[in-house]
Amino acid sequence: MRAGGELDSDRSAGREAGRGAGQRIERGDTVPGSAPRRLAGSLLGCPTALLGVLFFLASGAVLGPFLLWPRTRPRAREVLTAGARRLAALERHRRSAFFGDRFPGPYTVSDRRLLRYLAVRSWTGLVYGIVLGLLGFGAVLAVLLVGGVVRGTLGRAELFAQLLLGGVLLFLDLQGLYALAALDARLARECFGPSESELLRRRIDELAVSRAAVVQAVDAERRRIERDLHDGVQQRLVALAMLLGRARRSRDRDPEQADALLLQAHGEARDVLAELRDVAWRVYPSALDSLGLEEALGGVAQRCSVPLRIRFEVAGPLPRPVETAAYFVVSEAVTNAAKHASASAVSVHVSLGGPPGGPLLTLRIEDDGRGGADPAGSGLTGLRSRVAALDGVLRVDSPLGGPTTLVAELPCA
Amino acid sequence: MRVILAEDSTLLREGLVRLLTEEGHEVVAALGDAGTLVAEVGALRPDVAVVDIRMPPTHTDEGLRAAVEIRERWPETGVLVLSQHVERSYAARLLAAGAERVGYLLKDRVAQVEEFLDALERVHEGGAAIDPEVVRQLVVRSTHGDPLARLTPREREVLEVLAQGYTNAAIARQLHLSLSAVEKYLNAVFDKLELRRADGYSRRILAVLRYLES
Repeated sequence: MRAGGELDSDRSAGREAGRGAGQRIERGDTVPGSAPRRLAGSLLGCPTALLGVLFFLASGAVLGPFLLWPRTRPRAREVLTAGARRLAALERHRRSAFFGDRFPGPYTVSDRRLLRYLAVRSWTGLVYGIVLGLLGFGAVLAVLLVGGVVRGTLGRAELFAQLLLGGVLLFLDLQGLYALAALDARLARECFGPSESELLRRRIDELAVSRAAVVQAVDAERRRIERDLHDGVQQRLVALAMLLGRARRSRDRDPEQADALLLQAHGEARDVLAELRDVAWRVYPSALDSLGLEEALGGVAQRCSVPLRIRFEVAGPLPRPVETAAYFVVSEAVTNAAKHASASAVSVHVSLGGPPGGPLLTLRIEDDGRGGADPAGSGLTGLRSRVAALDGVLRVDSPLGGPTTLVAELPCA
Repeated sequence: MRVILAEDSTLLREGLVRLLTEEGHEVVAALGDAGTLVAEVGALRPDVAVVDIRMPPTHTDEGLRAAVEIRERWPETGVLVLSQHVERSYAARLLAAGAERVGYLLKDRVAQVEEFLDALERVHEGGAAIDPEVVRQLVVRSTHGDPLARLTPREREVLEVLAQGYTNAAIARQLHLSLSAVEKYLNAVFDKLELRRADGYSRRILAVLRYLES
């Protein structure tokens, strides 16, 4: 069961790796499995190592001549690497299943590196077996020693010498087992998982991408604000002023019409105020500062044209940037659902999850619209960069015909 | 006069239609985007086209492009464009083909109903109507470019009103001068700006604007 879970996380890590912004690096690190499980994994490593050695011996004997002959070499190599890949996959599964190693999904290793890994791993596995055998041998000797003591056939000096020697050997043996287990883990990480420097490089790439995305998102937002002001508020004000101008001009000609125009202008002035308030709210909801995320989301529900159900399960206070990002993710996702997906109901679930890896704010926005949201579209890209800027992940599931589910995870560290 | 309107904000478009109708003009068509504007002008042949620069789909300069095309194809049709804010290069593109029957107004100016109607009238009559704000900015920007610095404050005032597209008589009225005084100031201005006297009236505006832009 656990193995299945690990594989799933591997797969999703692979999906995210292809996304650019919003991806999260899965490190080749180890979630400590339980001791018996690890022991079982180590023990299982011996037969797989034996398998590896046998594979090399057999393929060496059978394929050797073909490998040497240039015309058959490519084909022979293919057979060799196909077998090696299978064995390596076995090792990889062993590492994930018993040691909880998490490797990035589609990690393609060069054939040469794979063969080298398999060769080294096979021999270290065999050595592990031998050292383990020595431990067993030592245990038998210890039993004999105890037997001797019980029967009284052992002298005091001899017992002391045996204990001292046995203790040292036991120490060396255990040390060897420990070192070999560590070597096994390191070899696997080097082959299947990215190295430290590669992780660092990827992290830098990721940060560069998210920084660029943030700049872009901010620009896009500025443009939107400008549009809101110029194409909304300004037009309304011009229209209002025009109404007043017309009223003034018709004051002498037709006082009745002037009155009607003034009335219209008054109504228009109120509309401008409402629009201005709306624009300001879209720029930044002041409730977020004074009343917190829950209240601000309530404001979204009020403004929303479709019924919006919000479940808010966050006990403590949240960091300000997380609150702001969460607010905009929800508000834009809800707007999208109402505008593009023609949804008739939207539900939002905000929850704060605990460790491991620090508290995580999860936003889940579901609608019953027609789906088919384009993950590369400007709206979702903007949301993704917002989330990525906080090292979060955004997942969109929107099959054609709906429904759409949007999940954002924001780390609150 | 017969007017065609292209303005994407419904509110403003309706307001303009009412305003023009009240003032006794005929609005032959009111469009929400620039796409069909050129074709409509070709079909309806209005006297003046009032065009918003920023319109769907891209909200950049489709209105201006349509206006330039109208000016090229039907020079007898006046074109008055409305802009959100002063864009020197837009004004330059519009004026590139001459300063007859052309206007460039800030949208806010529409709210000054009289000024808007006045500008419309001037464009219809074959003149130019450049937003005072545009002219002011151009003059301010060009003061370091030397010849303008040689103008006296009064001469500069006359130049600014001239650049907006007013006739000498209108300038005289606005600045409370006699017609001959205006002519005297203008001659001084043209001398100082080294503009040839042979140029026709509306050529002067063009020349001034181009000069200010350089």
